Amino acid sequence: MNWCSHLLSSLVEPFGYSFMQRALLSCALIGFTNGFLGTFIILRRQALLADALSHSLLPGLAVAAMIVGLSPGGLLLGGLIAALFVALGAQVMARNSRLKEETAVASLYIIAFALGIVLIRFAKVKVDLTHFLFGNILGVGNGDLWIAYGAAFLTLGTLVLFQRPLLLTLFDVTVAQASGVRVRWVETGLLALTVLGLVASLQAVGVLLSLGLLIIPAATAYLLTDSFNRMLWGGAFLGMVCAVGGLFISFFANIPSGPCIVMLMAVFLGAAYLFSPRYGVLFKLIRGHHYHEESLERWEGHQGHDHQVPDKEFKQ
Amino acid sequence: MSTPHNDREPMLRIEDLTVSYHRVPAIHHLSLSLGSGHCVGLFGPNGAGKSTLLKSVAGLLKPETGRILIEGISLEKAASLIAYLPQRESVDWDFPVTVRGLVEMGRYHQVGLIGSFSQRDQKAVEEAMELFNLTPLARRQIKELSGGQQQRAFLARAWAQEADLYLLDEPFGGLDRTSATALAAALGTLRERGKLLLVSHHALAEAESLFDTAILLNGEMVACGPTSEALSPQNLECAYGTAIYSGAHDHS
Repeated sequence: MNWCSHLLSSLVEPFGYSFMQRALLSCALIGFTNGFLGTFIILRRQALLADALSHSLLPGLAVAAMIVGLSPGGLLLGGLIAALFVALGAQVMARNSRLKEETAVASLYIIAFALGIVLIRFAKVKVDLTHFLFGNILGVGNGDLWIAYGAAFLTLGTLVLFQRPLLLTLFDVTVAQASGVRVRWVETGLLALTVLGLVASLQAVGVLLSLGLLIIPAATAYLLTDSFNRMLWGGAFLGMVCAVGGLFISFFANIPSGPCIVMLMAVFLGAAYLFSPRYGVLFKLIRGHHYHEESLERWEGHQGHDHQVPDKEFKQ
Repeated sequence: MSTPHNDREPMLRIEDLTVSYHRVPAIHHLSLSLGSGHCVGLFGPNGAGKSTLLKSVAGLLKPETGRILIEGISLEKAASLIAYLPQRESVDWDFPVTVRGLVEMGRYHQVGLIGSFSQRDQKAVEEAMELFNLTPLARRQIKELSGGQQQRAFLARAWAQEADLYLLDEPFGGLDRTSATALAAALGTLRERGKLLLVSHHALAEAESLFDTAILLNGEMVACGPTSEALSPQNLECAYGTAIYSGAHDHS
């Protein structure tokens, strides 16, 4: 019994530290929210756009740091403005010139990133680039936690409320537009939520891990299901589990938390890639190549029309 | 033409429609009026404005002149009465949605933002799948269907939406013979149920068996009427023949 209680006490040990409580809570929130949002990003094929936007936050953060210092609210606002500037600027450029959107985005975010690095030099406070990329999960303050709460609430609320128009738009933009969905609003809103998700998780996990939580859990769920709803909630659940689980492992193994969370997500993604019952690489080898009855029906159908086939070809 | 729905207003009325891309007009001053219960084929050479006309009626393109009325109502207000069927290439067939899920999308307009599906909605979905012989395929992901089944799934979605006007852009392209026959039968069913179908089509060979009415375009309206009359040799000469003089050709 002794080893049992020992194990138990060491498992609850992290909960004893208040910095660890805040870290766990923000990990759970960010993991769930980003995992949920990820489904929309992936189905809209905007994984790389999200990547670009994450880098374009930098000049906004630098300007915010110059004006108001390192307060979470100021950074949030600065990053939000900078990323929206790049995202909307690229849309305007693509609409008014022959440049395609991905070219415009790629150009603008590199420019923004470079501008950010220049601006950091002039900031009064020291802004650490590593911090921007990887965050500081153990340094999460109460202010950051409030921002995470607010962002999670806003993001999840909006996505759940507008799930149907979003789904129609993701599936087919033109058809959605024809059936009366305000496609442009939906797209812009989704973009704004992506940026919000990235900025809100900046302090805790940094842009790289935030991006990872946005893409990898949803990608894993995408490999596992044909149901939009299951992908949505499954991705969110997986994001939460990986973020919290990764933090735990990093605590006990004494390795950096960010990479640890990403590695844990990688394990799930790899497993789904190989072993998904429907879309796994291994199971595809075993499964039949087509629906037998249908190929039979088709073959018999053609038999019936056999004499008409050459006839049709002559006519055309 | 007869209009069983509404005596005063035709199902679709287009008045003096002009649509341009980058200042190059694709349709010039086109006017027409079509009643419900017809399957209308859109014919004409490449660049004649078939897709443009369909997209304009779907509300995807802004007209430069003229207006489009659905049962006397403007396009914006009549959006739920219109079903635009996408071209195969524009659909992401890997999307995580089953046949049933696809047909359910047609009900979103009636159900609203967060309301749940009522019994009536469920019934409409099941009826639509039954009508297009999709019930045994309900749980399949949409990529696991043949080309013809995919077309029928989208028709079922439009049926569940309770649309009155169906817009189809080259639905027969790339279908094998069995699928094409099934699709033609499905279009016939819709016409019998009093729907108006506007279908762009490039092969003239089977026009009369597929469509009761034909519209012949060549940037402007060449002919509109019963298929055999509209596609008369003179009209075809007029629609396809003029194309020879309008392009950049070798005159030697």
